[in-house]
Amino acid sequence: MEELLKQIAHCVEFGKINQASPYPPDLKGKDGADELTKKALDQGATAEEILTNALIVGMGKVGVKFRENKVFVPQVLMSAKAMSAAMAHLKPLFASGAAKRKGTFIIGTVQGDLHDIGKNLVSMMVEGNGYEVIDLGVDVNADTFLTEAEKYPHAVIGLSALLTTTMVNMENIVNALKEKNPETKVCIGGAPVTQDFCNKINADLYSPDPQGLVEYLDKLAS
Amino acid sequence: MEVSITEVGPGDIDIDPAVLCGLMGIDPDDIPEPYSGIIQRELDEIKNYPNIKGGFKISGNIDILSPKGVLSYEGVEFGAGKQVVDNLSNSEMAALYICTAGEEVSRRSKELMGQGNLLEGYVTDLVGSLLVEGAMDILHEKLRNEMESKGLRVTNRYSPGYCNWNVDEQHKLFSFFPEGFCGVRLSESALMNPIKSVSGVIGIGKEVKFNKYICHACSSVNCIYRNIKHAV
Repeated sequence: MEELLKQIAHCVEFGKINQASPYPPDLKGKDGADELTKKALDQGATAEEILTNALIVGMGKVGVKFRENKVFVPQVLMSAKAMSAAMAHLKPLFASGAAKRKGTFIIGTVQGDLHDIGKNLVSMMVEGNGYEVIDLGVDVNADTFLTEAEKYPHAVIGLSALLTTTMVNMENIVNALKEKNPETKVCIGGAPVTQDFCNKINADLYSPDPQGLVEYLDKLAS
Repeated sequence: MEVSITEVGPGDIDIDPAVLCGLMGIDPDDIPEPYSGIIQRELDEIKNYPNIKGGFKISGNIDILSPKGVLSYEGVEFGAGKQVVDNLSNSEMAALYICTAGEEVSRRSKELMGQGNLLEGYVTDLVGSLLVEGAMDILHEKLRNEMESKGLRVTNRYSPGYCNWNVDEQHKLFSFFPEGFCGVRLSESALMNPIKSVSGVIGIGKEVKFNKYICHACSSVNCIYRNIKHAV
């Protein structure tokens, strides 16, 4: 089983989705994350084992390589797709309560902003690291974040913005969330966002890359 | 002077796959599958983007207030910042512009992403960025040729949101154009829709300079202009 989980982690790390997938070239024709995950479940592995010892391992390696500029967005997207192929087999087990994830992360691009590539990338990295992700989409106002935060009281909230003009909307959302529940943790990110801005609006984390966020979430979950 | 509109045919814009690969972080001399197929497919899609257009409003009623970092355009003061305004120095006229790749490319990117085709959606998004820059290159060249025939030169183009020019100043810029000019609308938060649109200013004059390299003076590391330059 250990070898099988290693293979799944390898497929996620290098973006091997399924047998038909031609990428990466050195794994052409071989089973991908899809087939190997099914095989692992058939052989008795639990969803949590696969998540913890395969998917998180693979996505964690990708996250570190991305932060170190050793891989770029396309490779991360391929890894995310491989992770999704594996996750499709696990999701019914998580939904039924037969297996548990590390926590819940609610994410959205803030009101007035329609950019979503960065947000999507973060969503995939967080999901691949073992969290349930509630993606609220783009142009999300404070009320919507509040409603979702009430539904998931222990969730961590993530705010994304790409413009200096929309970045300022983060402050209202952070204030609204903290007013409702001072314990709510709010993370912010996006091209114009800085640590200084994070301090100014009383958010809990600014990370310039998804891996920093994952490490923060892991710290909270531990 | 009134505003002018130029429609750019999708076939007029030549996107270099090597530039696209560079933005993606892929070696253009060794593109593995599925990247090469996706890149080719999305470049082929360009023919289906019919609403690529842009235009200018040119005025000689300007003042360059270098010490204040202000461009006064027909009495409206743009706080473009010292870096931009210094580069516009000696301008006798200024051309404000708005240009768009149209909404089709962004719609396709979102659809692909929504279907789980993440890489395809990402490539399409980059194609959209290169399309609008390519269209603006054509408009810039057209302006250069027109002005050269009058013995004038043009500067680089500068946009709110870049080179420390506050993106919110787009509201002033858009006020010089008719509502929905070229199909582009500006939200309260200064977001252009279609997203793959650009706006800005070009200086015109006998003594203005076009600088080949200006990125060293700017701190934005996520700017596509900088990344395009690095990609080629």
